Amino acid sequence: MIEKILAHRNLVVRHSRLELMEHWAIAISGLVLLLTGIFELPVAKRYYIITLPGLGWSADFITSLYLHYAAAFIFSAAAIFHLVYHGLQGEKGLLPQKGDAAASITVIKSFIGIGKEPPMHKYLPEQRLAYAGMAFIILMLILSGLVKTYKNIYAPDLSPTMLLWATWIHNIGFVLFFLSFLAHMAAIALRPNWPMVRGIFTGKVRLDYARHRHSLWLSQIEQEHNIPAAVSDETTPFAKTDPAEVGQSIPLPETQQPESVDTRAIESTEQDGDKPPQTVD
Amino acid sequence: MIHTLRPVMNKKNSFNLSRRSFLKITGGAAALAGLNLPKSAGASTDRQLSTLIDLSLCDGCEDRQVPACVAACKTINKDKIPPVVDNIPEPWPRKTIEDWSKKKEVFNRLTPYNFIYIQKAQIDGKTIFVPRRCMHCNNPACATICPFSANHKEKNGAVVIEQNQCFGGAKCKDVCPWEIPQRQSGVGIYLHVLPGFMGNGVMYKCDLCNERLKDGKPPGCIEVCPRKAMLIGPRREIEKAADERARAMNGFIYGKTQNGGTSTLYISPVSFEQINKTMRKKPGQPDMNPDVKRRMASTDPLGKAVLAAPALGVIAAGALNWFSRRKEQLKKEEEHND
Repeated sequence: MIEKILAHRNLVVRHSRLELMEHWAIAISGLVLLLTGIFELPVAKRYYIITLPGLGWSADFITSLYLHYAAAFIFSAAAIFHLVYHGLQGEKGLLPQKGDAAASITVIKSFIGIGKEPPMHKYLPEQRLAYAGMAFIILMLILSGLVKTYKNIYAPDLSPTMLLWATWIHNIGFVLFFLSFLAHMAAIALRPNWPMVRGIFTGKVRLDYARHRHSLWLSQIEQEHNIPAAVSDETTPFAKTDPAEVGQSIPLPETQQPESVDTRAIESTEQDGDKPPQTVD
Repeated sequence: MIHTLRPVMNKKNSFNLSRRSFLKITGGAAALAGLNLPKSAGASTDRQLSTLIDLSLCDGCEDRQVPACVAACKTINKDKIPPVVDNIPEPWPRKTIEDWSKKKEVFNRLTPYNFIYIQKAQIDGKTIFVPRRCMHCNNPACATICPFSANHKEKNGAVVIEQNQCFGGAKCKDVCPWEIPQRQSGVGIYLHVLPGFMGNGVMYKCDLCNERLKDGKPPGCIEVCPRKAMLIGPRREIEKAADERARAMNGFIYGKTQNGGTSTLYISPVSFEQINKTMRKKPGQPDMNPDVKRRMASTDPLGKAVLAAPALGVIAAGALNWFSRRKEQLKKEEEHND
């Protein structure tokens, strides 16, 4: 299990390096696919995109196709790897659970000050729903894209019915993927979600944030590692190697005030990332 | 003497040629090429067809006001394009409108209302007449790259634009080495979507009279050619005929390798380098560059990698899962031993 509490650094490991690589491979190749997919429409000349610096190639459909294929290779391999590997590992944290729709509404309402967030697992209920939706869209894009690629190379006379299905699933999938990307960005823009952003870059989120918002997840980690919940971070001097994001509103317990920083302790724990969870100094 | 190929009836596509002569070769041409074409040969709309255009026979119908092939094509397709709207929407931001509806009679170039025309090449005091239309490529980029699949290749090799699905973005024209498809603005599905921002009409070009092929009739241009300069038949037969005729006249073939191969084979006693030199590429008037490469071929290797990508993902996931389980198992065994 990669998830672990680094109490001395006020961090908890949320994603493995492998998961980060999967996410960024899909994200970056997905963005390239979106852009080159747009350039596969006859828009670059019409909308003068070709006049923009560095985009002179955008009206060349063969160049766009080349880039589209390159990105599709990474995208398809990474997405299928992700599904199969985590499926084989029996990881179900991102799969929707019963009651996620209602819980999502409660969470969204809390964003605008109506009610309180329920205690949450590693992923928020709306994250699980979004994941299922995004996975479905991505699979449809991959399947229809494979049919179109096969047609381009081996079967230009593919059955028009099959071709139309593949084309329109791909085109509608493109629109849904773009909307999903915007929704993903919108979710990141919401202030309560800001502490999660660092997680997808570094693999770690702040422990006080996780304890405040993902208490069910923390309990699970503590249980699995036999960590007494009460001492995991509450009694640990807050070694402030990872400052809270600007504007972060989660209050820290008095025992975790930055004044108690011990720089020697930071140095001695810098390499602890790969060690078993440490709960007390 | 007319030799005929009698393709076999195909129920699904009703391509009944058993009662019709389909491939026509003049006695003169046959004598010239020393051909001995079979009296019958199997073909259907599921079988690849090819056409042959013998430039040693075409005289451009100089005695007629409009060449016979052009006139027949115009007659067959006269009602193809629906009425153009009175006020064609102005596209934004590039305001290109292509309206040929008031110039339907033009026949000296390709237009949305004219799918074939006769190009002239003056070489050493002689005139070579070259009927020009869609080449119906083996792997046509115009069809495979259409974002709405409005353009597709039939099993018989005809490359057909479905005018009810085409938005007129002219992508097919951009990727065609001969820029064959021509746009008519003010018609088509784009009028019902976002006419100012998306689409600009419908693209039109020769469809090898695909509807006539389904009815067991040859394309109009081939049927009416008074010199029998054009033929259609099963691909192998036509290729064989083209090779034999070219050999007999010590001539040249165009369309066999160009753009990755096409369903249209021109035969000429004069080299196509020479013919091409006399042609200046203009809108609706393609040249005959012998070195036309299929540009999309450069993307094929990467496309094949894309097709293999899901399998690579599965293999990598399986392998990593195995290693991970094995590592866990060894760790447990180690702990147990301790």
